[in-house]
Amino acid sequence: MRLKVLNLTYHPSRSPQIIRDDVTKLDKLPRRVAAILDLRDDDDENGGVDGLISDISELAAWLVLAGVPHLTIYEHDGVVKLHISELVRYVSKNLRLYFGTDSIPTFAVRVPHTNATAYSHPALGTNVDLTISVLSRVDGKPTILELTKTMSELAANKELSIKDISVELVDEELVELVGPEPDLLICFGPSLDLQNFPPWHIRLTEIYWEPGNTDVNYAVFIAALQQYSQCEMKVGK
Amino acid sequence: MFEQLSTFPGYDQVLTGAKKLFGRIIQTGPVPKHVAIIMDGNRRYARSHKMEIREGHNIGFETMASVLELLFEAGVECATVYAFSIENFKRLAYEVEALMDMARLRLCQIRQHGELCEKYGVRLRVVGNRKLLPVDVQQIVQETEDMTKNNTRAVLYMCFPYTARDDMTQLIRNVVAESLINPEFEISESAFNHFLYTPPLDLLIRTSGTYRLSDFLLWQSVLPKCSVVFSDRLWPEFSPLHMAKILLNWSFNTYWYGHGNGFVVLAPGDSARAQKSPVPVPDSAEDDYSDSSSDAAVDAAVEEEDTFTSDEDPISK
Repeated sequence: MRLKVLNLTYHPSRSPQIIRDDVTKLDKLPRRVAAILDLRDDDDENGGVDGLISDISELAAWLVLAGVPHLTIYEHDGVVKLHISELVRYVSKNLRLYFGTDSIPTFAVRVPHTNATAYSHPALGTNVDLTISVLSRVDGKPTILELTKTMSELAANKELSIKDISVELVDEELVELVGPEPDLLICFGPSLDLQNFPPWHIRLTEIYWEPGNTDVNYAVFIAALQQYSQCEMKVGK
Repeated sequence: MFEQLSTFPGYDQVLTGAKKLFGRIIQTGPVPKHVAIIMDGNRRYARSHKMEIREGHNIGFETMASVLELLFEAGVECATVYAFSIENFKRLAYEVEALMDMARLRLCQIRQHGELCEKYGVRLRVVGNRKLLPVDVQQIVQETEDMTKNNTRAVLYMCFPYTARDDMTQLIRNVVAESLINPEFEISESAFNHFLYTPPLDLLIRTSGTYRLSDFLLWQSVLPKCSVVFSDRLWPEFSPLHMAKILLNWSFNTYWYGHGNGFVVLAPGDSARAQKSPVPVPDSAEDDYSDSSSDAAVDAAVEEEDTFTSDEDPISK
């Protein structure tokens, strides 16, 4: 109920000014936002891969307007990874709706697992307004397993000593393989379910979800940013 | 008001009785096997009550004992508490020393009286990077562990000092070491789980209204079967009653939705997800609940509400 009211009052209806106004009120902003999205049945409203892609393109537009440069999408089964070209096309289209045709922001879509990157405007180089990383279950524990395998091969060949395996080394490798840790994780499901999200990457991540919410909407997004702006990080101190 | 009540004669007996009763009732439905707690907010509590920080930690310890009593009464087999993070060494030397003092004192107490441990058959294990502790504390830890090692009913894991990243790195090291010794050893997720010190986690609780995991049991808590609960109370304010509510919620949600956090969107790949999850979920356990307890769970929920009110009555008189 609360959500419905919020949605009515907040609905941005593709007007950048409202989002900008909301964001300027915040004390601090995350640099990296991650979102856990659920793949729904093809028959449901906003279901299937198309639904996911349209959700991602909305998120991308909001993040560009908020001035957050990194978006991480986590979807358990990784179906979006198979539709990267469609994703790029759809996000461009949606950004055009928000920003008009003159000043479309540039963005890149990364799939760390296959080490592939697609640019919206290949001609403009690698300097983009928004980077979207697409993750799935394989980027979590299976990647740590792969890393361990590599390390054990190196150790068998006496190229790496067990003593040298430190938190810093593992962190460096995993940032290389998956990416840095997000500052804010928004779970768009009705209750918190981390779904095997990469465990190394939620160390100090602020987690937000709205109980009962089932879709990607602006009210949840801005509430998450508000919670992040109020949180206090002490890291043990 | 609550503090004054606790000075009444017979209060402890009533509380213990209530916990026992609750334990019996909750065991009619699903109970989490492994509960982990991030006990956050001792210092904020001390500051807001104008106490010394040391005193806040002391009250926090009392809360822990009280909450653990309820958990073990409810049939939880394994509890993990985040006592001290490796990052906490960055705090003022004075406070670190006070915490170490408290560890010495409390562990000695457990050794001498062994109340909590003996009564519930609790085995104490200290996990984490112990090499970072002062030598005498290491010694005490070792002795206390040895003293309780024959207890089998439940295990209390104390993370001291611990961070999940340190733990995962240690895990990787162990797996690499094993693969060097044993060439046929296959590196898989089940192999990793074999090296974990705890059984799969069912419920993780974080207090003080902070929505982060803060480097605690990361590997375990991302599992789809684990539910993470955040509470707005500071740890010293967190009472067994709050714990009871969380347990009831978990129990109901697990029974009703099949997930401890409540309704989750079932994706088409969801059944596959359950199979892929490294922890085999025994189907028989779910069958047990489904046939007999459809009414029982609801009844139990109602009953428990009743018992609380009736338990509180004698106190308030």
